[in-house]
Amino acid sequence: MVQGGFNVVLNPEDSHEKHLMDTLKGGQYINNQDLAKQLVEEATPTVKELETICGCFFDRFPDGRVHQKPFAGQSFDRTVHRGDLTGIEIISRTTEQVFKRRIPVLEETRAVELLLDATGKTVTGALLYDMRRGEFLVVEAAATLVATGGGPTQYRFHAPGPEKSADGIAMLYRAGVRMRDMEMIQFHPTGLIVPGSVVAGALLEEGLRGAGAHLYNGEGERYMQRYAPDVAERATRDVVSRSAYMEMMAGRACPEGGVQIDAAHMGADFVLKSFPGMAERCAQFGYDLVRGRVPVSPTAHFFMGGAEINTDCQASLHKLFVAGEDAGGVHGANRLGGNGIAESCVYGRLAGKSLARFLSKDRGIAKTAPGLVKSMVARLREPLSRIGGRSPLQIRHDIQETNWLKVGIIRNQKDLDEALPIFRSLGDDVERASVAQSNACNMVYNVWLDTRSMIDVSIMAATSALLRDETRGAHTRLDFPEQRDDYGLFNTFLWRGEDGMPVTEKKPVEFTHKPVEACQKWKK
Amino acid sequence: MTSQPTSRTVRVFRYDPAEGGDGHFDAYTLDIPAPETTTILDVLLRIQREQDPSLSFRFACRVNMCGSCGMVINGREALACKTNVAHLPPAQDITIRPLNHFPVIKDLVVDMDPFFAKYEDALPFFEPAVEHDEPYAIKPDNQARIDIGMATDCIACGCCVSSCTMVNHHAGYAGPAALNRAFTLLADQRDGLFEARLTRALDSCYACRTEFNCTEVCPKQISGTRAIKYIQRLALKHLKSLKPLSAHPVEEAAKERAKDAPQPVATGCSCGGHHHDAPAASPAAATACPPAGAEAACASRRTFLTAAVGAGAVAVLGGILGTAAVAPTQVRTPAQWVPVAALKDIPVGEVSTLPLGYTRTQAFHSEQVQSTLLVRHDAPGQVLCFSNACPHLGCAVSWDPLSSRFKCACHGGAFDRDGNVIAGPPPRGLTRLPWKVEDGILKVEVV
Repeated sequence: MVQGGFNVVLNPEDSHEKHLMDTLKGGQYINNQDLAKQLVEEATPTVKELETICGCFFDRFPDGRVHQKPFAGQSFDRTVHRGDLTGIEIISRTTEQVFKRRIPVLEETRAVELLLDATGKTVTGALLYDMRRGEFLVVEAAATLVATGGGPTQYRFHAPGPEKSADGIAMLYRAGVRMRDMEMIQFHPTGLIVPGSVVAGALLEEGLRGAGAHLYNGEGERYMQRYAPDVAERATRDVVSRSAYMEMMAGRACPEGGVQIDAAHMGADFVLKSFPGMAERCAQFGYDLVRGRVPVSPTAHFFMGGAEINTDCQASLHKLFVAGEDAGGVHGANRLGGNGIAESCVYGRLAGKSLARFLSKDRGIAKTAPGLVKSMVARLREPLSRIGGRSPLQIRHDIQETNWLKVGIIRNQKDLDEALPIFRSLGDDVERASVAQSNACNMVYNVWLDTRSMIDVSIMAATSALLRDETRGAHTRLDFPEQRDDYGLFNTFLWRGEDGMPVTEKKPVEFTHKPVEACQKWKK
Repeated sequence: MTSQPTSRTVRVFRYDPAEGGDGHFDAYTLDIPAPETTTILDVLLRIQREQDPSLSFRFACRVNMCGSCGMVINGREALACKTNVAHLPPAQDITIRPLNHFPVIKDLVVDMDPFFAKYEDALPFFEPAVEHDEPYAIKPDNQARIDIGMATDCIACGCCVSSCTMVNHHAGYAGPAALNRAFTLLADQRDGLFEARLTRALDSCYACRTEFNCTEVCPKQISGTRAIKYIQRLALKHLKSLKPLSAHPVEEAAKERAKDAPQPVATGCSCGGHHHDAPAASPAAATACPPAGAEAACASRRTFLTAAVGAGAVAVLGGILGTAAVAPTQVRTPAQWVPVAALKDIPVGEVSTLPLGYTRTQAFHSEQVQSTLLVRHDAPGQVLCFSNACPHLGCAVSWDPLSSRFKCACHGGAFDRDGNVIAGPPPRGLTRLPWKVEDGILKVEVV
């Protein structure tokens, strides 16, 4: 859940042009420029509507204007926030608007598969799973929006809560949707280290580095001055995460196994006032953010990749819309802090408008392929009656370790080549897993559903990572340590082939608004 | 030191809806070597992983932000992810049970529908006073914003409601969470529903007995008590301008919008059944709905943050055709016949005031109901039974033999001998209860 804030142009001295250039520079030039431009331009009315229609109240400057704070990789202090826990404000206030508008919601129901017609080209709805009662239900619809919020929890350390499991991305892939940039998985540099606790990997927010927090390795060196002499800790997330991992691999980790963040030098009063939520989170586990240093590690955070969409949020299948983290292209090879909630709000709003336009012309519901639901449900129920298979909890652990070690922050061809057969074998384990029979609130069965998604996204990430023989943004290759703009200005695309294996394609980036030279030259 | 200094016994409440019954506690022994950095959520996850995969509980964000893991830990409401083992007394058993006042779905998972029914009834949403495109310039030292403070950070975990004794005694009481949200909107100068919101809050704000339980347990350090006192002060100031409860204020707007909006193509909306059945599923929820527009208010309930942050949700728009119906999660609490007294002991030609006590049970959720029955015994076997709860705000109505009226002392409501309203603010007459006589014993039917 978002803590830091929402990047948006509100100040006359700032401009959409600058926000776009920051976003393209941060994305290392391979963003879909149409989507990125739409993001920065629509962010302004979106954040205003959050205040004037939904009732959010963001922090203010002393003169009463909406406050904007600095974040990494930005040429202007443009991050709107509410303290250091911004997401809960936006989620609470928008959810209330759902109450107000009497929009029916299916509680504790997760989508499991998209449904297709007999041609396989039109989405007819989705197969859902009611977690309270343990039953499947079918919803057929004239249009379907996938917006599950990604969540790369297939790693040992992950920032999103474990209830996120890339379901949206995985079901889009299984339905045959064209996906892009799946090798681009962002690691946030400052995940809290709490050995043995499920809280491990939870974030200390970006604003700490934005405000001037320092990072130290186990030898007490401010190592970011070496990796990024100009901006040091305020470098983008890809650079800071990679640098921390390099230090850890070089044997310069702190005793807890990561590096240390030091906010205390900014003054106890300032830290407490500006980051009360973060200070409290640290204090719960005996760390003192206000007066001391806190051990952190890079933590899997965000899928830059996802379904390929156009500016109306339409994906490659008919009647299918995708928005937010499940879609790819807005952020290129690396997302800026503060552009995430911007994307989910902007594209959530645009998807709604786009759906309304679409439905004003076509409200027909296509016929789901005969027998499709029956075979899906039969397969999905199998673990409940099977005996002797592995536990989904063990399989999830193996998936997370394999990803962390072989498809993680720093990759190489050998590890990636080894990872794919391991994922296929773990995929077989998932297919043969056993879960104790119980209908209501069967948590282990839900973990089994998670592992299905995790296997699919793991295979997608490793397959795409092998297509990019360079280092760019979140994708770091030890065997190709340089960013190669004469080679790497392409996007990877991938979809599920007839045999169930991914089919891949590389396509040059289309520089529809800003030429690559302008992006390369842009300095914040 | 004993041989296992870090070993702890954890007692966890278990309830399986397939078996029904009252539920029970299971004890698990765990080695917890680092109690300072082990949360109760870690403990539950370990029990599930190492000892008992059938254990159910809710959690999502694991960092005190989503409000999913509210439960009662060693007798006190808390978030499992925010409570470390070291926060609890050492060398004692740890006891974990579901929140109070909510029906149990399974183990530690409760049905939060009653919570959201009351929450929604408090009109917990912003409605702009005037259309305005730009965020207002509001200085950080603005008094209203200082009053509101961090009270908008509520994560709807339900801890406050579970800790509140008055919620248990007063079925119509909105409770601290709903009143806190009402307070933050009443204090928000940008909001346009001041009167409607205050009118609704008025129903409840005097039910608080200032025990500060909600304030003590809130994981976000919000004071429900302070919010309720704020509303009480507003109520004194604005009492004259308040009108009787009207329909839900967005009803009219919604109707207008519906005219413009495209109509659904399909008829078999799978959601409809769920939401219309939901009120029946829990009596507390049903009574929380206002008399006017009750149907509409109940029909819209849904869980709040659990949906927003819970497992993947696919929004399906357009015509929705359900091929599977969604039924309520809860079994309706059955109506029961409760004995009142031997008919021969109830004087004929008079109205008698008789105590009525019984137990409402569902798994962990068991409630002692003590109420009062007004019995008009016209002729042997000819009886009328009224609830003594005033339909206005629930005060006790009594029979005044001098005027031959039922009277409510709180706001001057009066009812004739058939229970019809003849004076005061009550929106409808006294509630009549079904009755029968079995073996000479008068019984009434209650839910």
